[in-house]
Amino acid sequence: MDDLLSKLLMFPPHPPPAKPLSDHAYDEGIKEQIEVVGKMSETKLLQQTSGGEHALDVINPSLNTIPYACILLANISALKKGNNKGVEIDTLWEKMIGFLSAFDSRQIRYIGDELSAIIEAVAATAFSTRQAHLAVGPIASALMRLDPTGTMLTTHHLDLARLALDSRNFADAAPVLNKSILYVPGASTITKPRYICDMTLSPVSFITLQSKLTKKLKYLEILEYFLYSGMVFIGMRDWESALQCLENAVTYPAKETSVSKVMVEAYKKWILVGVLLEGRLLPLPKSTSSGAAKCYHVMAKPYETMAQIFENGTASRLKAEADTATNIWRADFNTGLILHLLAAFQKFQIRSLAKVYTKITIPEIVSQTTSAETGTKLPNPQAAELLIQNMIATGELHATMSPPTGGPSILTFSPTGQALTEPQMQRELVLTSERIVSLTKEIKQTDRILTHDKGYIKYVQKQSKNAKTSGATGDQGISGPDMDWNDALEDEDIMGPMY
Amino acid sequence: MASSQGAPPSPTQSRSKKGLFVTEQPKLDLESYIANYTGRTRLERMILIGNCSAVLGIDAFKLAVREAKLGKDITKYLEAQTPLETIAPKEKEAARDLSWMDKTKSTNAAETARLESEVKGYKNNLIKESTRMGNEDLGKHFQAIGDLPKAFEAFSRMRQDAQTPKHIIDISRHLIEVAVEQRNWIAVTSNVQKIRGVMDSKDSDKAIPPFLCVAEGLSSLDSGEYLAAALSFLQTDSGMSSSANSIISPNDVAVYGGICALATMERAELTKNVLENSNFRTYLELEPHIRRAIGFFVNSRYAQCLSILESYRSDYLLDIHLQRHVDDLYQLIRSKSIVQYFIPFSCVTLDSLNEQFAAPGKTIEKELVQMIMRKELDARIDTVNRVLTSVPSAPRAALQSSVLKTAKDYEREAMRRIQHMNILAADVDIKSRNKLPGGDDFFDGGRELRSGRNTGY
Repeated sequence: MDDLLSKLLMFPPHPPPAKPLSDHAYDEGIKEQIEVVGKMSETKLLQQTSGGEHALDVINPSLNTIPYACILLANISALKKGNNKGVEIDTLWEKMIGFLSAFDSRQIRYIGDELSAIIEAVAATAFSTRQAHLAVGPIASALMRLDPTGTMLTTHHLDLARLALDSRNFADAAPVLNKSILYVPGASTITKPRYICDMTLSPVSFITLQSKLTKKLKYLEILEYFLYSGMVFIGMRDWESALQCLENAVTYPAKETSVSKVMVEAYKKWILVGVLLEGRLLPLPKSTSSGAAKCYHVMAKPYETMAQIFENGTASRLKAEADTATNIWRADFNTGLILHLLAAFQKFQIRSLAKVYTKITIPEIVSQTTSAETGTKLPNPQAAELLIQNMIATGELHATMSPPTGGPSILTFSPTGQALTEPQMQRELVLTSERIVSLTKEIKQTDRILTHDKGYIKYVQKQSKNAKTSGATGDQGISGPDMDWNDALEDEDIMGPMY
Repeated sequence: MASSQGAPPSPTQSRSKKGLFVTEQPKLDLESYIANYTGRTRLERMILIGNCSAVLGIDAFKLAVREAKLGKDITKYLEAQTPLETIAPKEKEAARDLSWMDKTKSTNAAETARLESEVKGYKNNLIKESTRMGNEDLGKHFQAIGDLPKAFEAFSRMRQDAQTPKHIIDISRHLIEVAVEQRNWIAVTSNVQKIRGVMDSKDSDKAIPPFLCVAEGLSSLDSGEYLAAALSFLQTDSGMSSSANSIISPNDVAVYGGICALATMERAELTKNVLENSNFRTYLELEPHIRRAIGFFVNSRYAQCLSILESYRSDYLLDIHLQRHVDDLYQLIRSKSIVQYFIPFSCVTLDSLNEQFAAPGKTIEKELVQMIMRKELDARIDTVNRVLTSVPSAPRAALQSSVLKTAKDYEREAMRRIQHMNILAADVDIKSRNKLPGGDDFFDGGRELRSGRNTGY
């Protein structure tokens, strides 16, 4: 093993040279190393050092990611085969977890296959030992390290969402799931970057089917991801993020009247989450495809009714509606959300009192609001006090409650909205504009992908050909509406000699 | 006399009177009131008062019966006479005059037949002018016997033979009259437009423009567009006198215009458009209390203004056009008064508001809550210290938060669009099951993945 070590550790150079390697040199070096390591047999990789140390203890995964990953994989497969040459499962688990949160995000781009295998092994191990929640955090951090922008959807994202839902470990997965997905794998026209070690690359360029960092996703899987990530945030009671995730599924592009059942399920949850967030039935996002919109209104009628009653109706009606349709909620696995909705009704009522009153006594609140959980008013002022205390504590209500001085307790609403201080505001504005400016980069990228689509190029070709032929016959009336400036010029050139 | 009635009753009180039955003594004098009108509207108004007023009911019906017997409309006669049988059976008008009915019926039938045959004759002989006049007579006859749809038809037929602008104006005036009685406001406005189209500004009848204004005003009033109604009435030239008596009296113009303006206009507008409007002044002089009410409002003496209006409430509830809108209009005026009253203060005790606006022993808290919820009043109630406080306006904070929200929305929308485009670029959007016809070249090449796609649903 000792002789191997020198080969294994030959790249990247250690200690790092004063002048960082150029992308070109880096690319060549790492490719060479992958070749060398790839040629080594598994048994060799499993050997221990002369000092009796295990290779995994000697190599630093954050410096020498590639050999570490290969040795790790060798160990995993050894364990699978059952020969005892590898390490114990507990140690291996430690190593795998450690690797996922320590690998070098530049080197890892070259070994997509290996990374996928390790992630899968982590998920499978955790699953088989019924400790799925332990795998969520490491996988999430690996995905974050691989693509800090988080805009590219991979097959691992879906696995992560599933794992998080299964194990109910939402918090660890949330940072990854909360990123807005802009790209999905499979676009045929992505330019091959010269060096994938270029750290300025957009994730679309290096997370590709060819790099094996992801596999091809079907539309159903993408929808599943959106729905699951929405459900994860529902589990965390993070309504705003949940709404965004579900909205991704609801607005998923669909041709004509085709709609996926996943989209309908997402829409149902989307309505309820929207009510929990805003207290009303939200209008469908503009980008929803029209066929789907029609379908939603038919399939999710009971949900829309609930939302409307929540907005305009009384507590008793809301409760009655919720009670009559229990089998629907149960069949759709939305009972929990409905219960949340009922609990939220009175809170919304209390919050809207702030629009009318500055100070109000607790008994008055009791008489002016009704609980949708029971359909009646609260039994006594103490119950209301408790509810309001909870709301203030969780930040749902901006108000203060003063203890009784002879009379009943008094609730004082804070002046509308906690206005941000000027510097906060300034920061917020700068951040927002930065985010929007950075979007232009993504727009350019998308534009490139679209305009280099084979079909589109063919179409443009045909267009210009049409323009030429129609110009030649002197009939320019039928030239396409998409005729662009270049075409127009050509047109004139040909027409010139004719007249 | 107006203020002698004391504080106005709370608006909730009047709401409970469903079906509009007015028990208070109205200020109007039946005889002189009805003398303001001519034509069928007299009957209509009397029957309405009969149906709605406890105090004037019997007298109104009696007058109506007498009036009806002078005319030819049996239906209206029965409408006036039948209630009398139950509420005042001893009056001599209560007895149903069957012989009169029979006689009228037969003469009506004969007259209809005669006029119809006349028109037919004129038509056959292609005498345009006579046909037009024949149709006019027929229309008038139908109108008199209460067959409004047929009257409308007959008047409409006049149009084919109309030759001069004067004719068209005549036709439209007839049609407006009938349509007002039918409450067919669409026809009213369309005919107003027709007259406007042909009217010559110079030599035409001075009475026409006011007539058009009031017709338009009525139709706006009916559809609840009070501001439009106010503007129409306020534009009415002073020369109307009795030319529109078959629809509306000059007094009504003052009342409708004044109240609608009060309900919808700001203080400065009221001064400019109503009090300083020399045309409208002639009307306002007929109804001085409206002018006083507006004056009080402009001078911020809201309680007096409201009490004047309140004292005339029962009158207006007996008005054929106004009755359905009285509550709404009064409510608007009240809310506006409260808002105006509150403007100069940052904080007002509820007690002083009660003193100004609520009936004794009542509180306006509920009303305030409603107004705040409807966003009419920008204020908050403090039920502990019993004060109404204004909301400190923070335009800077409001603008900043709205900017952030807009930016966030934009960002989300843009992201979603990018996402959609990339989903399309990766060719993983949901395709329809029945495949598109393959003729489109756009899809021909490079989409080899599509065949295996539609299975996952």
